[in-house]
Amino acid sequence: MLRLIKNMDIRFMAIRKIPIFISSLLIVISLLSFVLKGFNFGIDFSSGYIVQLKFDDQVSIVNIEKNFSEANIDDVTVQLYGSSKDVLIKLKDEEIFKKNNINNFMNNIFSDKSFTISKLEYVGAQVGSELREKGEWAMLIALFSILIYVALRFEVIYGLGAITALVHDVIITLGVFSIFGLTFDLSVLAAVLAVIGYSLNDSIVVFDRIRENNIIMRKLSILDVLDKSINQTLSRTLVTSLTTLFVIISLLIFGGDAVRNFSIAMFIGIIVGTYSSIFVASTSLSYFGIQRPEEN
Amino acid sequence: MSRYPLWKYILVILVMAYSVIYTLPNFYDTYPSINITNYENRQISTDEITNIVSNNSFSYMGTNGNSIYFKSIDDQLNAYNILSSNKKFIYTLSNYNQIPSWLHAINAQPVSLGLDLKGGVHFLLQIDTENVKKSRANQLESNLRNFLIDNGIRYSNVQNNNNEVKFSLVNKNLNEETLSVLSDTFSDYDVTLIRENEQQNLFARLSDDSLADDVKASMTKNLAILRSRVDELGVSQPIIQKQGKDRIIVQLPGLQDSTRAKNILGSTATLEFRLTKGTPEDWVASDTMGATTVGESILYRQKNGSPILLSRNVIASGKDIEGANSGFDSQTNQPAVFVNLSSYGASNMLETTSRNIGNRMAVIFVEQDKSEVINVATIREAFSKRFQITGIDLQEAKDLAILLRSGSLSAPMSIVEERTVGPSLGSENIISGRDSMILGMILVILFMFIYYKNFGLVANLALFANILIITATLSLFQATLTLSGIAGIVLTVGMAVDANVLIYERIREELLNGNSPNASIVSGYNKAFSTISDANITTLIAAVALLTIGTGVVKGFAVTLVIGILSSMFTAIIGTRAVISIIYENKSNKGLSI
Repeated sequence: MLRLIKNMDIRFMAIRKIPIFISSLLIVISLLSFVLKGFNFGIDFSSGYIVQLKFDDQVSIVNIEKNFSEANIDDVTVQLYGSSKDVLIKLKDEEIFKKNNINNFMNNIFSDKSFTISKLEYVGAQVGSELREKGEWAMLIALFSILIYVALRFEVIYGLGAITALVHDVIITLGVFSIFGLTFDLSVLAAVLAVIGYSLNDSIVVFDRIRENNIIMRKLSILDVLDKSINQTLSRTLVTSLTTLFVIISLLIFGGDAVRNFSIAMFIGIIVGTYSSIFVASTSLSYFGIQRPEEN
Repeated sequence: MSRYPLWKYILVILVMAYSVIYTLPNFYDTYPSINITNYENRQISTDEITNIVSNNSFSYMGTNGNSIYFKSIDDQLNAYNILSSNKKFIYTLSNYNQIPSWLHAINAQPVSLGLDLKGGVHFLLQIDTENVKKSRANQLESNLRNFLIDNGIRYSNVQNNNNEVKFSLVNKNLNEETLSVLSDTFSDYDVTLIRENEQQNLFARLSDDSLADDVKASMTKNLAILRSRVDELGVSQPIIQKQGKDRIIVQLPGLQDSTRAKNILGSTATLEFRLTKGTPEDWVASDTMGATTVGESILYRQKNGSPILLSRNVIASGKDIEGANSGFDSQTNQPAVFVNLSSYGASNMLETTSRNIGNRMAVIFVEQDKSEVINVATIREAFSKRFQITGIDLQEAKDLAILLRSGSLSAPMSIVEERTVGPSLGSENIISGRDSMILGMILVILFMFIYYKNFGLVANLALFANILIITATLSLFQATLTLSGIAGIVLTVGMAVDANVLIYERIREELLNGNSPNASIVSGYNKAFSTISDANITTLIAAVALLTIGTGVVKGFAVTLVIGILSSMFTAIIGTRAVISIIYENKSNKGLSI
C-alpha cells in the first residue's frame, strides 16, 4: 500500500508553542491590516459599476481614460482584460450614470468606436451595505450553529476548540486578502464560508479520534492521546486536502476571472484550514483543559 | 463477511437509475425558437408554419409542431423582428429541445442555466417610497385646504415637509365640533391641534400603516405594469418577481443589450397636451427675462433648446391615454405614435380643439424631473379620440408607444442592482466551468487510483455517481445552475472522495493492526460512519448558512454544495459499500488492493 505518511509519531504537543506563536503572529498581523489597511471591497459591498467592454478594434488604456476625463469622470479604473480589445472599467456610483443610464453614457463617450457590453454589474449603495450585513450575519450564524452542534454532539470544550480553529482560519484568510489588497466580493465571502465548513470537517475528524482514543487508551496521558489522534488521522487530513487542492488549482487555471477571487480564497483557506486542524484545533483543546474521562 | 442487505443494493440501483434518466435531457441540444399561434383558438396548422417559413427570408434550422427553431439567438431575434410585423399571429420567444417525448412525460428537462452562463440581464428595481410619501402629503395638503375653506376656517401659512402638513390658523378658536368632524374626515391621518403662543397650529401627519398600504398598492400596480412592459421587449421566459416590501426583480434571459430594457423598465415617462401661450416673440422675451411675460403660462423648452410658453392647463395627459401604437405618418412618412384617448380625455380634447382652431397645441414628454416639448402643431380641425404625434425618431416612437400602452408607474422605480452578462461571455463561462471540472476530475481520479488502487477505482466510480446525482437533482428541481454553482460541483468533486478516504484509511489501520481483510472492511466502514456523518453535518450547517444569504453568487454555490454533501455521503456510505461487497463478499480474501 502506498502511503504518504508511514507510522508517523510526531510529538505535536511537545512543540505546541511553535504553531501557537506562528498563528498568533499571523492573527495579529491580519488584525492590524484590517484596521490599518482595511479591505479592497468589490462593488458587491461598496457599490459602483463594473463594465466589461469588447471593442471591435484594439484600444489603449490611455485613450479610454481620456474619453472619461473629457466627460468629467476622473474616478475611473481602466484595465485591459485578456486582450487589447477587451477592457474592464470600474466606476463609482455617480448621479450622471443613473440619470442618463450608464449604457447611453458609454455610447456617448465612445461614439467614435464600436463595441459591445460583455458584462455590466451595478450595485447601489443601499444594496451594497445590505449584502455586507447579510454576509456578516451568515458568518455569525454559521459559527454559532456549529458551536451548538459540536457542543451537543461532543462536549462544550470541543465546540470551543473547533470555533478557535475556525476563527483562526477566517481571520488569516481574510488577512491575506487585506494585506495583498485582493478584491473582496460576494464570491470571496462564499469561499470563506466554504472554508469554515471544510476546516471544520477536518477538525471534527481529529476530535472524533480524540474522543474514541480517550476512552480506549487508558494508560496514556491526555497529551499523548492528542498526539496519537493527530498522527492517526494525519494521512487522511493530507490526502483530502490534496484532492481538494487539485480541483481548486484546476479552477484557478481554467475557471476564468469570474471565479478567480473565489478560487484564491479557497486555496488560502484550505491550506490554513489544514494547518489549523493539525496544529491549532487539538492544541487549543489542551489549553482549554481537556480531561481524561473519569475512571469507573 | 456478512451479507450486505439486499434493500441497499436495490436503493443504490434505484438512485442511479433515476440519476441517469434525469441527467439524459442535458445531452440533447437546445435551440432558441419562436412559437406561433393564432388569435382565435391558439393553434396553428403545420401548413401555415410551412407557409410562414417559405414566405419570409430568414435563416432557421427547422420546424416542429407550432414552433420554428434556430441555430443562434441572433437568428431567432432577426426572425422575430421580421415576423412581428405580421399581426395575424401571436409570436412567443421560447426554447426548443430535441428530447424524446417519454422524457418529457416524466418531466425530465435539462438543467436551467443561470444568466451568467446563458447571458442576460438581471435588474433589481426599488420603488421610490419618498415619492409615494410626497404625493400622499400633497394630496393631504390639498384635501385639508379644501376642508378648511369649506368650513370657513382661515389660515395664514402652510408648511409641508412631505411627512407632516402644518396649517397656521388665523381663527383664534377652532371649535370642538369642527375639530371632531375634521378628525373623522381625515381618519387615515394623525390630526392634532397645538397652541403655540396665541397661535393655533393644525398638524396632520401620515400614519405609518396607511403609508405602508400605499407602498403595497403601488408595488402591485407597478408589478403589473412592469410585466406588460417586459412582454413588449420580446424576451423568452422572463422572471418578474416581488422581493421584500419595496423591490422587484426582473430577469431577462438572452437579452443582448440592457440599454433599451433600462430605458423602458424604470421609465415614468408620459405625455401631456397643452395649448401654447403668447407669440414666439413673447417666448424669447420670457426666456431672456427669466420669467414669463404672459399670464397663466409656464416656460418650457423645445427639443432644440429654444423656449416656449405653454398654458397652465393640461388638456389631457398619460392617464387619459387608452391605447398607443407606433408607425409612420401616412403623408410625411415620419415615425409617429398613434394615440387613443379615453372618453374623458376625448371630450376634453374635443372641447379644447373646437374652441381653438388655428391655435397651437404642444405635446410634452414628461419624465420625473424632466419635461420636453417634442412637438408643436397648429390645430386645423377639432379632433377627439384618435390622433397622431410626430417629432420623434422611430426607436423613441416604439418605446413611447410601449410606455403609453402599459400605463405609467404609480411611483418611480430606480435600478438598485444590475448584472448583465453578454451571451458570448456566458458561453465562455460554460467552457471555463467545464474545463476546470474535467482537469480537476482527472487529477483526483489519477491520485485516487495510484494511492488506493482498486479501492480508489471504486471511489472514482462514486465520484461519477456524485456528478450524475447532482446533475439529475438540479434538473429535476429545475434549480438554476450558475458559474458559482459549477465551482460548488468542482469543490464537491474534491471533497466527495473525502468520505471514501476516511473509510479507506480506517480499513488500512485495521489491516495494519493484523485484522483479516473482510473484518477490516466491515469495521472500517462502521468506525468511519460516525466521523463521516459528524463532519458532513457540520459542513452542511455552514452550507445552509450560505443559503440564508440567498443572493445570486452565493446561493448558486450553496445549492450545489448542499446537494453535493448529501450525495457524497450516500455514495460513500451505501454506494461504495455495495460495490466493495460485490467484489469481496463471500470470498476468502488474502489481501486487499488498497
